[in-house]
Amino acid sequence: MYRNKKTGVIGIIITIIILILTVILSNIDVEKMSYLENALNSFVMPIQNGLTYLKNKMEGNDSFFTDISKLQEENEELKKKNSELEQSLREFEIVKAENETLKEYVGLKDKYQNYQTVPAYIINKDITNYNQMIVINVGEKDGIKPNMTVIADQGLVGHVISTTQTTAKVQTIIDTASSVSCNISTSREPIIVTGTLEKASTLKASYIPTDAVILENDKVETSGIGGIYPKGVSIGTIKEIVSTKNITDRYAYVETAVDFKKLETVLVITNNKVK
Amino acid sequence: MKKFLSILGLILTFLMIYFLQANFFMWFNIAGVKPNLFIVFILFIGLFIGNKLGFAFGLILGILLDLFIGKSIGISGMMLGIVGLIGEYLDNNFSKDSRVTLILMVMGSTAVYELGTYLFQILRWNTAIEILPFVRTVCIEVIFNVVLVIILYPLMQKAGNALERLFKNKSVMTRYF
Repeated sequence: MYRNKKTGVIGIIITIIILILTVILSNIDVEKMSYLENALNSFVMPIQNGLTYLKNKMEGNDSFFTDISKLQEENEELKKKNSELEQSLREFEIVKAENETLKEYVGLKDKYQNYQTVPAYIINKDITNYNQMIVINVGEKDGIKPNMTVIADQGLVGHVISTTQTTAKVQTIIDTASSVSCNISTSREPIIVTGTLEKASTLKASYIPTDAVILENDKVETSGIGGIYPKGVSIGTIKEIVSTKNITDRYAYVETAVDFKKLETVLVITNNKVK
Repeated sequence: MKKFLSILGLILTFLMIYFLQANFFMWFNIAGVKPNLFIVFILFIGLFIGNKLGFAFGLILGILLDLFIGKSIGISGMMLGIVGLIGEYLDNNFSKDSRVTLILMVMGSTAVYELGTYLFQILRWNTAIEILPFVRTVCIEVIFNVVLVIILYPLMQKAGNALERLFKNKSVMTRYF
């Protein structure tokens, strides 16, 4: 049962290389790979076009099939135009709704200025795959108490769940145990967003009213219900709407306004009541 | 004195693993999934030291982890304690001298730990049950842990045998194998 020591070392080195490659490949941005796709396409497509041309010639599909393909093209163009018109109509509706709520936004900005905040650095992030907790470098000494809201420049981060003299533990909104009462900013429809295991930067919006009109790219903000988070703090934008057989079960995915991977500094709101 | 120094070494190893998990594996991960070296570490103590030290280490270090960053105190302590006990049980019933056996032990312990933690989360925090994302996460974590064990196996065997001699008074007579 003697084993060549050299072979063992080579095996370990190969394993390390495979592990590093796996990590790099699994974290690489798909969009960054488009140049590879383009290069492959430029190589394959001319051959593919030539083969298709030959196939069509051999099958002898002349004028009749040409007419059909023209009609199909026209049909496609009309469909495209129709969807573009629908899109612009939706955009018009969104702009209209946004216009109506602009005054409220201006008021909200003033309201933010009235909150007393304590700046803090993130000193620790969760080490497991199921929790999304962070630890910040302010605590009881700085007036931090449980249930205080934590925000960043872009929007809501979470709330304080426990404190020590110099640190505070924050449960972020992307934690699977977190659920926040929100409103869709354009239609003012109430929804609940919760953290998911699927993707760290995505929240699941559920309890969408059956008559609610929600659209992709709609903004989501806190409703103020629940007593922890103040009203009007940005949470993110609706990225995908998933329709189900039963309309009461439909849900949507919300992309968080805050990039939690790059988050380093936060603000703790020490008085939820406006001065 | 030797035993005391060994325990001190184990505590330092725990701190080193903690900083690795909190910094290095934050970016060195597979599709956002980090490995869990604490499971490997506690299983290692259970397998090579035994004498209920695996359970005790798991329990205490787990509670420390909960205090550092956990949402509720006790769950990591309980689950790592169970991993320590699993290590001791496996040591009594299986040989840990084979790399394959050790890999299978790590796979089983990781799955048990993660399943227990996730079930507790569902019961305690009333979180939504997401079976597919959970299975995906556990599978990647198990593979990650196994790959790290393959890399660390020679070190684990060497350190493990030394600790076993010290704590269990067992001599490994390698020249007879």
